[in-house]
Amino acid sequence: MGKSTLRALLVVGGHELRSRLRDGTAPLIALVAPILLATLFGLALGGDDDPPLKATIGVVDLDGGEFPASVQREALNTDELKGVLTFRQYPDEAAARSAVDGGESGAALVFPAGFSEGVGAGRGGQVSVLESPESPLAGVVARSMVDRISALVQARTLAVRASLEAGVPADRVQLFVEENGAAGPALSLVGDPVSGGKVDLAVHYGAGMAVMFAFFVVGTTARSLLTERQNGTLDRMRAAPIPLWTALVGKSAVGFGLALLSMCATWLSSVLIFGASWGDPLGVFPLLLAHVFAATAIVMLVASRAKTDAQADGYTLGVAFVFAFLGGSIVPAYNLPEWLRGVSLITPNGWVSAGLSELAGTGAGPSAVLVPIAVVTGIGLVAGTVALLGFRKGRFA
Amino acid sequence: MTPALVCERLVKRYGDKTVVDRVGFHIDEGEAYGLLGPNGAGKTTTISMLVGLLRPDEGTVRVGGIDVGEDPVAAKRLIGYVPQEIALYPELTARENLRYFGRLYGLPRRELTSRIGEVLDLVGLTDRGDDKVGTYSGGMKRRTNIAVALLHRPRLLILDEPTVGVDPQSRVAILDRVEALVGEGMSLLYTSHYMEEVERVCTRVGIIDRGRVVADGTKRELVAELGGTDRVELTLDGDVTAAAEKLRAVEGVSESVVTGSSSIRLLVAGGRHLLPALLAAIGDAGAVTGVEVVEPDLEAAFLHLTGSTLRD
Ligand SMILES: Nc1ncnc2c1ncn2[C@@H]1O[C@H](COP(=O)(O)OP(=O)(O)OP(=O)(O)O)[C@@H](O)[C@H]1O
Ligand SMILES: [Mg+2]
Repeated sequence: MGKSTLRALLVVGGHELRSRLRDGTAPLIALVAPILLATLFGLALGGDDDPPLKATIGVVDLDGGEFPASVQREALNTDELKGVLTFRQYPDEAAARSAVDGGESGAALVFPAGFSEGVGAGRGGQVSVLESPESPLAGVVARSMVDRISALVQARTLAVRASLEAGVPADRVQLFVEENGAAGPALSLVGDPVSGGKVDLAVHYGAGMAVMFAFFVVGTTARSLLTERQNGTLDRMRAAPIPLWTALVGKSAVGFGLALLSMCATWLSSVLIFGASWGDPLGVFPLLLAHVFAATAIVMLVASRAKTDAQADGYTLGVAFVFAFLGGSIVPAYNLPEWLRGVSLITPNGWVSAGLSELAGTGAGPSAVLVPIAVVTGIGLVAGTVALLGFRKGRFA
Repeated sequence: MTPALVCERLVKRYGDKTVVDRVGFHIDEGEAYGLLGPNGAGKTTTISMLVGLLRPDEGTVRVGGIDVGEDPVAAKRLIGYVPQEIALYPELTARENLRYFGRLYGLPRRELTSRIGEVLDLVGLTDRGDDKVGTYSGGMKRRTNIAVALLHRPRLLILDEPTVGVDPQSRVAILDRVEALVGEGMSLLYTSHYMEEVERVCTRVGIIDRGRVVADGTKRELVAELGGTDRVELTLDGDVTAAAEKLRAVEGVSESVVTGSSSIRLLVAGGRHLLPALLAAIGDAGAVTGVEVVEPDLEAAFLHLTGSTLRD
């Protein structure tokens, strides 16, 4: 690209930016609206009395042995669950059931009588879980604990059986097994329990608004492109000694930059106002960058089908809302019906939301969002290519 | 010398409608060429292809020897294009509009300010240059529309009906400027609905009708094609349509069109001698109140070639 083309891009971009600032749409749509909405949603629905990242799990210990006690001890010591998990004891299953139904506990584990002894003797054992649909997080944690326990129990049972078969006397088996490595229940609940989209609602709404408004911000650029087509000024630009795509690219670049600024500002505001981390910035930023790219391409694609600026506005609004809804930017994806959850992954919103859950929910590093970034970038490339082809055929002309 | 513009066999189709059909003409360096044609003839579509806004389905355009399809950027540098519709930012002042487009044409900042002053002066808007274009009258917008195309001192100026909606005084002023620019060596392509503008400014004229160039030459050449045909303008009270119909049947009348609620234009071989026959033919269809026999001119040539009047 020559120096004069670059200069022309700057002239177009500078002009676009100045008009966005002059008519006041840039600060309003890029900054005020998303930050305000994210904050209001966060305050109204995030709430700090029952932060969603806290889980109370009831325990019915009919066994009284060493196994249930050590499971709870280990779980409380797990790094990922520190400060998240609280155990509450209930005398029997009925009491636990009503506590779970009443919302006092999110879920409950029931250790049957003779559980420790059974495991020690190699007969295995069964732990049951009581859940409530109101507290999906507690349910996930409890089920995951049971999975770990079953795995341990199985290992232990196998070890005991093997020892018995090898001729270790029955009364010495437990000691023997523990001395030889299959020690008491060592729980590791790394990551798993909280993965799957359960992040702080302040983060969820912050991200959701940022993702949705990226479309609106780019939409103002699409609108101005159509206005210029109606005004004839687009033809004036196309008649100037610069490549034909300069107008489209120069304006899109401004939309892209403003949308990126908008997303970052909403991110920052969410961190400052709610103290809620979106996860490793090195993962968050590329994810937002990819989303802005995809949103720009998608909006330009739909705008290229519009005949008037009002129509372009309508298209942008439609795409932004449908994608926001399907992609879980408004209602968290785990609250959507099962079949819609799959649909969310055709939208960049869904992938960004999944990526942020990964980053914010589990504290994973940037490598955890490589797939979402790649997919979102891919969506942008496809939409952008189609938009450019349309442009070459004389759209925006 | 390289011609300022050559276009050959230009074709543009929309669906199965051919709106520009093998159009070709050339404009010499420093020449003023007029493109005349009724509404919908394909003038704007042709111009859009000349200035690189529209890709022709067939044919080529060379501006100053540069192929517009091959090196559009270099070709466009030579062209000053004034679109038929006002193409300006209404929320900006004339100066701001000029500055933006001047920058797009690559004029350096320092030079631009003084150049903007010059073109504003040229179109007589120096004292309104800092007002928003949205507050301008139609004529002032037109003049600003032209000013934008002059900023980069183009070698070829293309004006698509530049005087629509301009008051007679401003029109004269605009024509004076355009003539002066041609006098300074600029080449010109001019389309207009006003025959007298084209007659005054242009040395050569192309007549375009239904997408085709039906004639091309100097005014003298086009008129000569009429042979001994005169133009007769009749004014009458009565049923003009019926009268025109009757006149068409008179021997020697080649065209007969209604040009107003009480006027008819005729092309008549050997004009003067046929007058009694014409008046007799009208009979009781109307009372003739005025007759004018005009030497063959461009208006007559246009009627002869297209069977229609330029303005309707
Ligand atoms: N984008 C388009 N799609 C379909 N038809 C078109 C398009 N643009 C122009 N036309 C048709 O092409 C024909 C020529 O239009 P054009 O604007 O070139 O005429 P013109 O000679 O400039 O007329 P006028 O004197 O009224 O400005 C018209 O019949 C018009 O309807
Ligand atoms: Mg036209």
